[in-house]
Amino acid sequence: MILRRVAVILFVPVMLAFGSGVYLYLGTLKSKVVQERPQLPTVTKPKFVLPGTMFVVQAGRLFKLEAGGFTEVGPAGDWSQPTLTPDHTRMVAVMRGGNSSDLYLLDLGGHILKRLTKDDSRFLDSNHWAFYPRISPDGANVVYSFDSPKNLKGVQEGVDLSVWSMPLNGAQSQARRWTDPYWYTGGDVTPIPLVSGGLLFVRHSIDPSTTVHSRIYYQSHALAIAKPLTTEADDCSQAALSPDGTQLAMVCSHGKQTATLEVAPFSGTTLGPARVLLDGGLYASPAWSPDGKALAYFAPQGQAGHFQLWWLALPVSPTTSPSAAGSASTSASARASSSLAPAPAPVQVTEGVDLSATSPPAWY
Amino acid sequence: MLALFCLMLSGTAGAAAYFFPVVVAGVGQTGQTVVVPPSRSPGSQATPAPSAAPGSPFTVLLLGSDDDGKNKSPLTQSMILIRVEPATKHVTMLSIPRDLWVPLSTGGSAKIDAAYAYGGAAAAIATVERNFHVHIDEYAWVGLKGLIKLIDRLGGVDLLITNPVLDDAYPDDIDTKFLYGYKRVAVLPGFQHLDGSHALQYVRSRHNDVNGDFGRSARQQQVLLAIKAKASTLNAADLPDIVDTLKGNFKTSMGLDRVRSLLGVAAAFDLANIKQVVLYVPLYTSYGQISGQSVILPHWSQILAVTKENFP
Repeated sequence: MILRRVAVILFVPVMLAFGSGVYLYLGTLKSKVVQERPQLPTVTKPKFVLPGTMFVVQAGRLFKLEAGGFTEVGPAGDWSQPTLTPDHTRMVAVMRGGNSSDLYLLDLGGHILKRLTKDDSRFLDSNHWAFYPRISPDGANVVYSFDSPKNLKGVQEGVDLSVWSMPLNGAQSQARRWTDPYWYTGGDVTPIPLVSGGLLFVRHSIDPSTTVHSRIYYQSHALAIAKPLTTEADDCSQAALSPDGTQLAMVCSHGKQTATLEVAPFSGTTLGPARVLLDGGLYASPAWSPDGKALAYFAPQGQAGHFQLWWLALPVSPTTSPSAAGSASTSASARASSSLAPAPAPVQVTEGVDLSATSPPAWY
Repeated sequence: MLALFCLMLSGTAGAAAYFFPVVVAGVGQTGQTVVVPPSRSPGSQATPAPSAAPGSPFTVLLLGSDDDGKNKSPLTQSMILIRVEPATKHVTMLSIPRDLWVPLSTGGSAKIDAAYAYGGAAAAIATVERNFHVHIDEYAWVGLKGLIKLIDRLGGVDLLITNPVLDDAYPDDIDTKFLYGYKRVAVLPGFQHLDGSHALQYVRSRHNDVNGDFGRSARQQQVLLAIKAKASTLNAADLPDIVDTLKGNFKTSMGLDRVRSLLGVAAAFDLANIKQVVLYVPLYTSYGQISGQSVILPHWSQILAVTKENFP
């Protein structure tokens, strides 16, 4: 009798442990999307060591990737879209506030050297956005997308981005507008200043069937008529110019929810036939390696869908002349005419992080 | 033998504790009954039909609205009619513009977003059924905070933002004491991973879109598909977390059985089998002014043709 009571008393904890075990075991069966949370880059080890130094962004924090390791740089704030000066000694980055964003000049350690713009105001309508800074090849100017002028003629005030340029060592009052966007489309983004003094940028438009398109444009000087280099059907954007200025990498969605990563020769004013390097993924913000022989870009990996950094070596350079293709040349037929060796498979660089796909890597 | 029984009992208790939130939600949030009132709107027709049998096609009215206490009776910011065909794995989504001027089931005419405010889900269902000549089997209502929490619980969604979504008059009414303020938002273009609050900004912004509310409707369908893609990876062990996330921000007439089967169905659907319909101007609708309000006027012959084709 006593033995039976002792056995029962001893069995109760076993039951409790088993019940708790079942509870905990069920918890381990949760799918990855519910369980997985991104890590800070600094606590991860890249799977592949990239050449040079790269700056990327996660959750408003700037990170430097160098020699296979991440370090955080810069003061606290909602940072994005770092871009380097041509001599690679400083960078310009965007810091978002509640209702505005500003451009800051920083050293490569992330210390603020100068606030370039002042876009915040206590009056809501007087706030502005500044995004996508790029430094001109001579280092004299910073070009960027800025939501001014606001369209006051419509039924309600429109907010669209135009490309502006201001002296890097000057004041915002010296800024001048370069492009004239289509109203109520979101406007013109991702400017790339050229050695010639011209500009590449992406313009958004809406066709009569209400479909939104993005196209890469070339413009020779401020407020000149811009010339499209890609077609409406291709929906190309996020252009990145190679270090020698002869090739353009871009992401083209072709009206779908997936995209191609493409490279086309660039003459300075026209694009040649594009080569499709990757197809069917969610590719974002390509950037050229310092030697121009590879691309880095962002794409999601795994069920959680957080964007990771990828590296893609390029096949042999194209022999096609850009001038042969003329304007708006990256059509399907132009793509089909390209006959190059297939690109090597992309290599995943990071794992478990959640990099900002709208902040292209700044790489030197 | 007794020991084995006791172990089974304790294991069952552990499982019951794990799924307890699901049971509570099953009682509180699912299986909501609605009584669709008889028609009081002249010229509109009810289309009574029996509810869909298990495994057969069914139609869900998805409602999205403020849940921030701003209004005792919130307007619906989103109304999407969804037909699910489990056998053929086809889904059709039709967005109903919030400013569509229609006879309400509760009487009179108004923008269709007022139907829910005047008579809850029953009035919203009746108004849609009578005007669009469709039968609605189920409804699901999600509050704005519920959408944010759901997307965050799913770890965010991957989307292609086709163009910058900028808004200088975006409602600043989430997690704030003053519910009538505005703020500026900017969602930048490109493929990206959005958390709940940024995804909400994307689907809720409407002041700088040349397509107005239609553009917003298309964005809502896009996010719905992204949520579906994420939900297809869920399993039964995720249900307690999801239920806890949606506590107080989700109501549906669907029973737990149908919710569970929907998760299974979501996993099997292909994007190619999903048809999206937006009632764009000028084919289906036109812009107008009634009593000083900007409204969208329905072209019923075109609308009814498309609903007859897609929601038989």
